[in-house]
Amino acid sequence: MLEKDTLRKADIFSGALMFLFGLFVVYQALQMPMKDTYGGVQNVWYVSPAIFPLFIGAIIALLGIALTAIALKSVGLQQLRAVFGYLTSSELVAFLKQPATIRFYAIVLVFSSFIFVMIPRIDFFPAAVFFLMVFISMFYFDDDRLLFNIMLFFIAVTILLIVFFAAGLDALLAKSWNYPGDWLMLLCIAAFAIFAWQLVKDQIELRRKYRICLLLAFCAPFTVGIIFKFLLLVPMPFEGVVVELLDTIWYYDY
Amino acid sequence: MQLFERIGTFLGIIFNLVSDPASVAILFGSVMLGILFGAMPGLTSTPGVALLTALTYSMDTSLAMVCLLAIYVGGTYGGSYASILINIPGTAAAAATALDGYPLARKGEGGRAIGLTTTASAIGTTISMFFIVAISPIISKFALEFTSFEFFLLAFFGILISGTLTSPDLVIKGWISGFLGLFLACIGRDQLQFFPRFTFGISELESGIEVVPVLIGAFGIPQIIDVLKDKFQIGKAQKLQRIIPEIGTVVRNIPAIGRSALIGVGIGSVPGIGEDIAGWVSYGTAKNTSKHPETFGKGELKGVLASETANNACVGGAMIPLLNLGIPGSPPAAMLLGALMLHGVTPGPMITFEHPTFITEVAAILLLASCAMWITGMILAKQVVKVLRIPTQIFMPIIGVLCIIGSYSLGLNIYNLYLMLPVGIICYFLTTMGYPIAPLVIGVILGPMADENVRRALMVSQGSFMPVFQRPVSLILFLIIVLTIISQFGWYKRLMSGIKARLLGVLRRP
Repeated sequence: MLEKDTLRKADIFSGALMFLFGLFVVYQALQMPMKDTYGGVQNVWYVSPAIFPLFIGAIIALLGIALTAIALKSVGLQQLRAVFGYLTSSELVAFLKQPATIRFYAIVLVFSSFIFVMIPRIDFFPAAVFFLMVFISMFYFDDDRLLFNIMLFFIAVTILLIVFFAAGLDALLAKSWNYPGDWLMLLCIAAFAIFAWQLVKDQIELRRKYRICLLLAFCAPFTVGIIFKFLLLVPMPFEGVVVELLDTIWYYDY
Repeated sequence: MQLFERIGTFLGIIFNLVSDPASVAILFGSVMLGILFGAMPGLTSTPGVALLTALTYSMDTSLAMVCLLAIYVGGTYGGSYASILINIPGTAAAAATALDGYPLARKGEGGRAIGLTTTASAIGTTISMFFIVAISPIISKFALEFTSFEFFLLAFFGILISGTLTSPDLVIKGWISGFLGLFLACIGRDQLQFFPRFTFGISELESGIEVVPVLIGAFGIPQIIDVLKDKFQIGKAQKLQRIIPEIGTVVRNIPAIGRSALIGVGIGSVPGIGEDIAGWVSYGTAKNTSKHPETFGKGELKGVLASETANNACVGGAMIPLLNLGIPGSPPAAMLLGALMLHGVTPGPMITFEHPTFITEVAAILLLASCAMWITGMILAKQVVKVLRIPTQIFMPIIGVLCIIGSYSLGLNIYNLYLMLPVGIICYFLTTMGYPIAPLVIGVILGPMADENVRRALMVSQGSFMPVFQRPVSLILFLIIVLTIISQFGWYKRLMSGIKARLLGVLRRP
């Protein structure tokens, strides 16, 4: 949580945002049927689907105003200009470049790419291995410079994957080769393993961490994935080359 | 059900569970997992219960409850390890334990402190189990008299009180958080007229927001971001000596244990208030009523005893409103509610009719979980402590994978993941700005209940709000809600302190 002074300044914005959000909810609720017919049913106001959202929206808007008022009272009107000035100041730019903020970007980026780009299109196992390799090494190496380099590598891979799938290359290659996206992911895993090794090879401690990182990145998805896929019978979000291989091994008639 | 019949059922359930090796293995395994989750700073029993819910999907309800209640009990207790040995509470519930637990460990009495927390936690859970059995029939019978107005007001009260008591900053933020949860619950087709609300043409939103991904996102993602962003490092653990059960200390402090357990059960049964508040209130009470309050904070065993008994008693307390009213008493209980619904059990006043032995079964499982926790704590504490050496940078990404696969596997829907991540990121920002997350989650869970009941009530009364003032329970709930709201205003506080000063003046006059 932020410091109390900063918190009150932030409350001005969060309160205003809540007020606007409350108004948005009220506006949306007003578009819902109130007393007119819906689906052949004559409505009365008290069974309208708008009643509850109207109530919630109005309360959120009121609480938002109240929060802004409390924050303004605490910060003082003289300080208000400085608060708004912060939004256009170099301080904000410095904040956005802080190591902690960059770490936040890295976490959100890794999660977003894994969830929105990889999981729906690539076999769970290679995708999860790559996710863990990058995620663990980013933070376990405990070096902001290395984190930044790894993040750049990850962005490059994400862009490559987006282009690959958006351009329809996977469908094109799939005619002659099964699961091209999975093979590309396996190539990315190998490329990252080499890239990370180049980053850490000169330091003994980092080399130890690199080995742990690789070990866990491979062991964890296979342990978790096998429990879900074969013991709990949960189909993976996308089943490709590795799941096919595991299926063959698991269901082989020995 | 008659008393002896219920005792018979209770013993029968215990016998069935103990005689089934699979149940025993799951019981001990889940308790162990819970202790590990609780012991790792940054993880709590809430994501533990959330992640395990996915694994229990294919189990029968009874076995699933063994699994989930055991991890809940173990997780609440496990927080004391990090509190005592590294002075960083493994969970918020164990924060008060650190005040006296860590000084004890520094004095070389870490084993004694852990032994005491193990015994106190087991006793707290067991006492709370008795309350579940004793109070549930009364509440259930009482709740059967509730009409839609009462249920709406109860849901509303749950959100308000949760917002009031869990807010780390301004109370108003707790309320906003609760109403944001109610808004999330509005998304999808409404239950009465099937009208799509806030779906924006996205077909996946029509069936509404899934509770489990929201819970996993709300509790899991902010914790991962917090720990990794701020480079959270676990300190060096104090040495752990032989674990002693400390039965003698427990026996000497039976009245204090009873008081702490009552505090835990009482706070646990208030909707949305978790184990952390129970621990602090109990610790504060123990200190205020002690003949030597100056010893608190310097390694006082009574301090450890008070917080640990209360936070584990809270587990049973949280089950009382959950089972009888369908209102979760704490964030992990909210997760349990989601799990129960997945298994086709709808908690509420009808539970005693639909599943006559369910409450007794929950009580039996809690008793077994507390026994398993005590045995595991006594035998494996030294091994569990090793978990404190694992760097957070390693286990947090793995927890991330578990959050993802857990959210997906409940419903086999990738859209759950698209929901979980934004909810998690929003919750992270809300937490940073001092908004509590528990009311939001309670709001998501109680939203459908509040929405349906207010409209049904108005339908019955033809749009009139007068029944609120004509029905005693409604009126009491309404007055409590009004009091909860106005008690936050400055003028009310001034008025009350003025009245108090006048009364004191009158009393002091000769």
